Amino acid sequence: MSAAEFAGTRSTVEPAFVRRLLIAIAVVFLFLFLFLPLAVVFGTALSQGIGMFFNTFTDAGTQSSIWLTLLAALVAVPWNTVFGLAAAWAIGKFEFFGKSALITLIDLPFSVSPVVAGLVYVLLFGAQGYFGPWLQRHNIHIIFAVPGIVLATIFVTFPFVARELLPMMQAQGNDEEEAALTLGANGWQTFLKVTLPNVKWALLYGIILCNARAMGEFGAVQVVSGRIEGLTNTMPLQIELLYSDYRFVAAYTVATLLAMLALVTLVVKSIVEWRTGERQA
Amino acid sequence: MSITAAGITKRFGSFTALDDVDLEIPDGQFVALLGPSGSGKTTLLRIIAGLEFADSGSIHFDGQDISKRTARERRVGFVFQHYALFRHMTVFENIAFGLRVRPRNVRAGEAQIRSKVHDLLGLIQLENQAGRYPSQLSGGQRQRVALARALAVEPSVLLLDEPFGALDAKVRQELRRWLRQLHDEVHITSVFVTHDQEEALEVADRVAVMNEGKIVQIGTPDDVYDKPATSFVYNFLGNVNLFHGRVDEGTTYIHPNETDHVVFVRPHLLEIAREAAGPNSFRATVKHINAAGPLVKVEAVTEWGAPVNVETTQERFRDLSLVKGDEIYINPRDVAVFKEK
Repeated sequence: MSAAEFAGTRSTVEPAFVRRLLIAIAVVFLFLFLFLPLAVVFGTALSQGIGMFFNTFTDAGTQSSIWLTLLAALVAVPWNTVFGLAAAWAIGKFEFFGKSALITLIDLPFSVSPVVAGLVYVLLFGAQGYFGPWLQRHNIHIIFAVPGIVLATIFVTFPFVARELLPMMQAQGNDEEEAALTLGANGWQTFLKVTLPNVKWALLYGIILCNARAMGEFGAVQVVSGRIEGLTNTMPLQIELLYSDYRFVAAYTVATLLAMLALVTLVVKSIVEWRTGERQA
Repeated sequence: MSITAAGITKRFGSFTALDDVDLEIPDGQFVALLGPSGSGKTTLLRIIAGLEFADSGSIHFDGQDISKRTARERRVGFVFQHYALFRHMTVFENIAFGLRVRPRNVRAGEAQIRSKVHDLLGLIQLENQAGRYPSQLSGGQRQRVALARALAVEPSVLLLDEPFGALDAKVRQELRRWLRQLHDEVHITSVFVTHDQEEALEVADRVAVMNEGKIVQIGTPDDVYDKPATSFVYNFLGNVNLFHGRVDEGTTYIHPNETDHVVFVRPHLLEIAREAAGPNSFRATVKHINAAGPLVKVEAVTEWGAPVNVETTQERFRDLSLVKGDEIYINPRDVAVFKEK
């Protein structure tokens, strides 16, 4: 049966004009809210020529902001990957007291405004905070320094991996792990050879999302950063700084880097989804 | 290897899954744990495997107390109801898993592993499917792979948890015959859990019937079927008609108004006749006839209004020229009587 014939026999098919209208709305929406802004970012960044574009990256403050963002992601992503795996494993495979409380806690960063998250760290580790005097005596700087930025990034990104893994681990149950155990595998072998391969695509997806958020986080980081250019400015903060300094081209140029990250994330995500779909088919 | 479970008790919260259970399985025997869901049969199997630990009591393999050992140390082969195959591994790698995770100093070489897996693939008649993934196999094939995977590590005992529970009737029957044959060749001490009495009676050397956390009877299939120890066993093993009655000097009298004894009669031990024969004959009206299959199944209603199921041969059915609505006599040929609790 051809596609046209098949479509004609189905009673659930909408009239042609409705379908076209819905598609048109979706396309216009995507164009206005996604493609156009992206085009503007790249357009403005390149508006004064490719030379100006690359010139932006010779600026010390901008370079330092790129490195700081990479550093924060480099610490936060592995940390939250390990945490997410451990949490999802514990919740998905075992019964224990306080399980639902733990699930709620994991979701906390999603429900709390990032600004509040940042303020919490200031309250804890700032000069007037609970641990402030002690930290000062030992000459440890957290707020308005790199450790604060890393901490804030970890906080806002920690649900991503756990949230991706949890439903999958819960659905898969314990059967395969128990089978591995009876076949003589130890805990570590069971984890590496059975549990991990079963969730690898969900894990990768979680890491991608976690990384994207770690590099793009603005609110929480802004509160704890103190915004010292060249020292505690991350990429999103640097973009904002350049923009408010009327250095539009530079601002948009740094923005292209973040936009590029978003595009790479989307591509990897599509590949992951395609691979997962293929395996389940 | 012989298995002994002594005084096993297991509670989940306020629910007692196993209540002081003793079980003795001699070396090489094939034992079925049979019971309704919630009777504790799977829990007992998992405790033997070391996947669950008893609150009290002990498990011995060949007289040695292994209660404290983990599943990994007990060297049991376990087959799960839903196969539990490693979904990201091929059939070959699934079977090889147990051999590959051994500590390096006792692990077989790659060539040895290959030949062993190929032998097992031959045993389960899946030589051509070695490179496939579990999702590409049928249910029966998956369960055979699960069995080969369990056998690969040369376990001391084989434990099967409702191994055919998720399969359709025909595959089920084929697989259980095959499993019985396999056991006759390999002679590994095996325990399998089922709620299907036909399966238990057909496959096992001995059947342990369980109810409410206890083993109510253990014996050969003939024993438990012909000489049920309790009304539960009789009721659980096969279709049955329930009457009330009394016992006078060794003779059972069926009567609807009696209350001190329960009388069970299997449908094939009831005889349909046009005339009364003996003191226990009663009148009934035919309500439904199912003549498909080797036996004719007749549903009737007794003179006191209770439903009764009778099975009779095709030959007898033709001789009687029975039709729906007929008034008939039913003569019990053999009954089982239990004192009412």
